[in-house]
Amino acid sequence: MKSPLLTLRGIEKRYASVKALGGIDLELRAGESLAILGPNGAGKSTLLRIMAGLAHPTSGTLEFAGGKHDRGQIGYLGHSTLLYPELSARENLIFTGRLYRLDDPAARADQLLAEEGLAEVADRRAGGFSRGMAQRLSIARARVHAPSLLLLDEPYTGLDEPAARRLTSRLQSLSTEGHALALVTHEISRAALLAERAVILKAGSVADRVENEALDEAGLARAYARALEGEA
Amino acid sequence: MNVALAILWKDLVSEWRARDRVVAMLIFSILMAVVFHFALPGSRPEELQALTPGLLWTAYIFAALLGLNRSLALELDNDALAGLALAPGNRGWIFLGKATANWILISLVQAITALIFAIFYGVDLVPALPGLALVVGLGTVGICAAGTLLATMAVRTGFREVLLPVLLLPALFPVLAGAVEGSLAAVQGGSIPFESLQLLIVVDGVYLVVAFLGFDYVLDE
Amino acid sequence: MSKNSSHSELGPPSALERRVSTWRRTLGIVLALCSIAYGWAVITAPIDSMQGIIQKILYVHPPLAYGAYLGFVITGIAGMIFLGRGREDMDRLAIASAEVGVIFCTLMLITGPIWARGTWGVWWSWDARLTVTLLLWFVYLAYLLLRSFSGPSPRTARFAAIYGVLGLVLIPLNYYVIEIFGSRSMHPENLQGGSLGDGMGLPFLLGNITLGLAFLYLVFLRWEVESQRTAAGEGSSAR
Repeated sequence: MKSPLLTLRGIEKRYASVKALGGIDLELRAGESLAILGPNGAGKSTLLRIMAGLAHPTSGTLEFAGGKHDRGQIGYLGHSTLLYPELSARENLIFTGRLYRLDDPAARADQLLAEEGLAEVADRRAGGFSRGMAQRLSIARARVHAPSLLLLDEPYTGLDEPAARRLTSRLQSLSTEGHALALVTHEISRAALLAERAVILKAGSVADRVENEALDEAGLARAYARALEGEA
Repeated sequence: MNVALAILWKDLVSEWRARDRVVAMLIFSILMAVVFHFALPGSRPEELQALTPGLLWTAYIFAALLGLNRSLALELDNDALAGLALAPGNRGWIFLGKATANWILISLVQAITALIFAIFYGVDLVPALPGLALVVGLGTVGICAAGTLLATMAVRTGFREVLLPVLLLPALFPVLAGAVEGSLAAVQGGSIPFESLQLLIVVDGVYLVVAFLGFDYVLDE
Repeated sequence: MSKNSSHSELGPPSALERRVSTWRRTLGIVLALCSIAYGWAVITAPIDSMQGIIQKILYVHPPLAYGAYLGFVITGIAGMIFLGRGREDMDRLAIASAEVGVIFCTLMLITGPIWARGTWGVWWSWDARLTVTLLLWFVYLAYLLLRSFSGPSPRTARFAAIYGVLGLVLIPLNYYVIEIFGSRSMHPENLQGGSLGDGMGLPFLLGNITLGLAFLYLVFLRWEVESQRTAAGEGSSAR
């Protein structure tokens, strides 16, 4: 069994009487891909932002590899690119590397640019990038500090079909390289291509967990439909 | 500390390439100088000299409001602010980097504005320069400390342009009190009252501490 | 952060808030009695030979000032507790005391000039104490604007709390400014019992007590409303 990477216990997010998340227990193991599914307003993004350390839960605990949760261990890729348009691709990565206090951010930037196939546009302003290129640079940005866990918040938003397919294959290869992934999406077909495991959120709670080793689209769609009508 | 330097570098490089913030602040400041001309018709030179520090600070404050709002609004493009919040460690350093960048850019605008005021109103600022620079520099630290914190809040509400002045101006009274008094002494050729400097340093220190500690909460979702 | 906090402990109303309602009712009775005595004392107090009837504003004005400052201090401290401990009931207390503080401050800023017109001959003077109070009034108006502009959310609550702390820090800073630049002050120093004329001590004392109680009563009432409003799912608001 793989060792637990990120452990969530009883995560609750509430303000006043509005409950965004009600007691989520979740475990993500090293190298594993997890899909977090659910309709709009189910609390998927809130959960992911708590996992990323962008928001604090009202109650409950997070552990990273058995220790304290640390933003420095986690990479985050959202539907926004988090990039600075005035900086070149390389400068964006160097800047991010310095945020994460890397010893040699320039070397790391060049390495990532090569890995994401951006070496020849390294000195162009990120503001001029196409959505697909910006997304690749954004992946490089998320990996700057070599995190063992990547959190993906609706990364397919705004991508055309070829770019989306490229993103899927890139994420698949990152997964085989040993990255753990947590993907928030409302698109079941994309989740099925990537994830080994899925949780389905509904109104801030886990409605179902799909744990089959071989997760296929049809099975996932059935579970999703069942979870959503079950309590309606 | 390195994080603060990285953000400072990022802000200055971005501004160097876009140049929109400094230019906007400058045009605004020059317009203020023109507005004051119409607002104070027929003033004699010695009256204007006594008024210059106050007018200068009025222009400074409003130009700074413009620059501060823009500085943080830029961080909302592509959700870059979340990118900063994701970085590990104390978020106070992020504040310090942003505030320092704001201080440099605003100081630059202030220096040029002072020159323009001197030309327009025939006030000889050269002998006052060291004292004036000290007072303006210290006063601007307070503006940038409180301003960077409050602008980070204001830009994330629906009313950013309105909210920042409403939040920031009442907090700037101690800064203005010390800065205008000190500037007036400098322009009139006297030595800067120690009280002015003391006040500015105390206020700067307090605002820096509050903003450094408070920034963690401001960046949370 | 507490791990096993049950809903009843964290959610509205908190244990503390449930007690507030009882305190407020008791307070209401005492307040009613005090108000009668206060009203009677003010009416029967002798008319000042120099200032005339307008002097009676002094039975209202200083206690309003205490209430205003108390409100702002409570807002700041409650905000700090909210930030540090995540206690939302303290956030609701902060709203309540900011609003009541602003009301007291507004009334103080209205009664002051009326008295000043009669005594100094001007409605307003840029006297140190007046200036500082006016600025503080703006700080807390900004506080309420910040809350209403950004709508109820944890983020709004945090922003407001930080601004409340900044406002709290501003109180001594502003007074430090006055001290440094000398208070070119016309405003009378805080009245001591001894400086009041015959028969003026009692209404003054009753004024402090009554308006102090009224302040607490209103804060508790507003707090209760806010807590019930949140419990009913309307979310906190700052209108």
